[in-house]
Amino acid sequence: MIGLTAEQQAILSGARGPYLAKCMRWLVDWGKAMGATRLIPVDNTHVLLPVPNLVARGASKQTIEHYVRDLKEACSHRTNSRCICTVHTLFVTMDDLDVPENDPEQVRMQREITELATAAGFIPTFTCAPYLVGNVPLKGEVCAWTESSAVVYANSILGARTTRHGSESAIAASLLGLVPEFGVLLTENRKGTLLVEVSTALNHPTDWGALGYFAGKQAGLGIPVFNGVRRPSQDEAKQLCAALATSGGVTMCHIAGVTPEAPTLEAAFHGDVPAEFVRFTETALRETYCSLRTHTGTEIDSVILGCPHASIREIAEIASLLKNKRVANGVRLWVDTARSTKANADAMGYTRIIEESGGKILCDTCPTNMRIAARRIVTHGFKQAHYARNMIGAEVIVASTEACIQAALTGKWLGDE
Amino acid sequence: MSEVVELKGRAVVKGRAAGEALVSDSVLSFWGEVDPASGKVIAAGHPLEGQSLRGKVLVIRSTKGSSATPMVLNLARLEGNAPAAFVNLEVDSLAALGCIVNGIPMITDLERSPFDAIQTGDHVVVDADAGVLTITKKC
Repeated sequence: MIGLTAEQQAILSGARGPYLAKCMRWLVDWGKAMGATRLIPVDNTHVLLPVPNLVARGASKQTIEHYVRDLKEACSHRTNSRCICTVHTLFVTMDDLDVPENDPEQVRMQREITELATAAGFIPTFTCAPYLVGNVPLKGEVCAWTESSAVVYANSILGARTTRHGSESAIAASLLGLVPEFGVLLTENRKGTLLVEVSTALNHPTDWGALGYFAGKQAGLGIPVFNGVRRPSQDEAKQLCAALATSGGVTMCHIAGVTPEAPTLEAAFHGDVPAEFVRFTETALRETYCSLRTHTGTEIDSVILGCPHASIREIAEIASLLKNKRVANGVRLWVDTARSTKANADAMGYTRIIEESGGKILCDTCPTNMRIAARRIVTHGFKQAHYARNMIGAEVIVASTEACIQAALTGKWLGDE
Repeated sequence: MSEVVELKGRAVVKGRAAGEALVSDSVLSFWGEVDPASGKVIAAGHPLEGQSLRGKVLVIRSTKGSSATPMVLNLARLEGNAPAAFVNLEVDSLAALGCIVNGIPMITDLERSPFDAIQTGDHVVVDADAGVLTITKKC
């Protein structure tokens, strides 16, 4: 049973209008379903507000309009004054880029929503990695975030507390400043369930992605604990978290001796014996790469970097690899990032170097969200490869950033050995 | 006369629905693995690849992964392609949210494994208000 305060009960009964009553109903019913006993304050949300791009693939215009109408209704209310509310990736870019998949009608609808959303208090970050652009919650801070990779990052790397949210619950949390208290919001549910003993070297961010992709599959809805690894860089942690949430339903992980709630291996398991154990060996690393590799030839047409959205450090690395070089004819090289990160890349001259080489920096969205027409994709993100395979129907190869750039320059995948 | 089996469970999301069972002891992501425009599972190599979820009582281990689960379910519902009900072994909070927002009943914690008790093609009445599944076995 969920106990409500008089004020919460009044909102549920419609004291602040039918839309907020509906939001309260969602949060209460969700809390009941997940075993919550109360709603607690939240002051940090990350919200999904995209116009879906289904019309081109056979869904009706009516469906899109209906969905958009609901989003507009949400955005006609003010966000809670305590809350910082950032916005997740869109399905289009708002830049005037020559990108054939950027449907002008969809852009128009998205602009309408975005104008309403910013007026309502939603900050137009348009990124899957809010923790790179200023939304960096503290340890213990209660959040309501969409984007499963960012949820894993917030809980694991930052020690913040958020369950995995959907669009509706994150909107409700933003407007009401409340979330149902269940799952990893409670300390006892942050205990590791699976010990992953790592016995191979991890040499770059994509190797950390492989570890995450492997462990996510083993962990399911559980909490993996990594032992035997060094401290990852921010980009490595980003790949680990994204891959964990791709192959499994993972909400958080621990890295023994590294992450804020795992000063020791024992602490990660709250003093208990791990329920399950698995080893990540050099063979497992190799097999994880192969498990996603569907491309068998040498020709490629797309190189996609920035999944999750690239950090300024990654863009700097990409620019240095591309300097005074040319991307092969017929190859699309895209670096996906948040527009505030691109502003820094512009200032640093990285954007110019990437563009002079024939590449492009894409803001607000990602190729999978856009459903680009690509046949053979090389990417450094396990998440991108996993979803591009199903959603675009492309052949995929996942490899280090350096190997991806090599493929872009030659137009060929010649192996990473 | 077909065999009829009743199974008790715990309602995660209340409501009543009925449909043909689609059973797979697997996890499924709605984002990227289900196409709301067709209602079909599009995940390469998934045991349910190519199957339509439209109007089905979906009996799976759990959903996984994406925050976009409720959004995809919402779009599938608007297109008339959503499952009629969920019977899950483990409850993924995003599937629960998706069911709440879209008025789709969900049941879990059945008295015996749904993968033993239900086969694809069985007719299943889901009464999540009472926490009971009524399974009419396929002849």
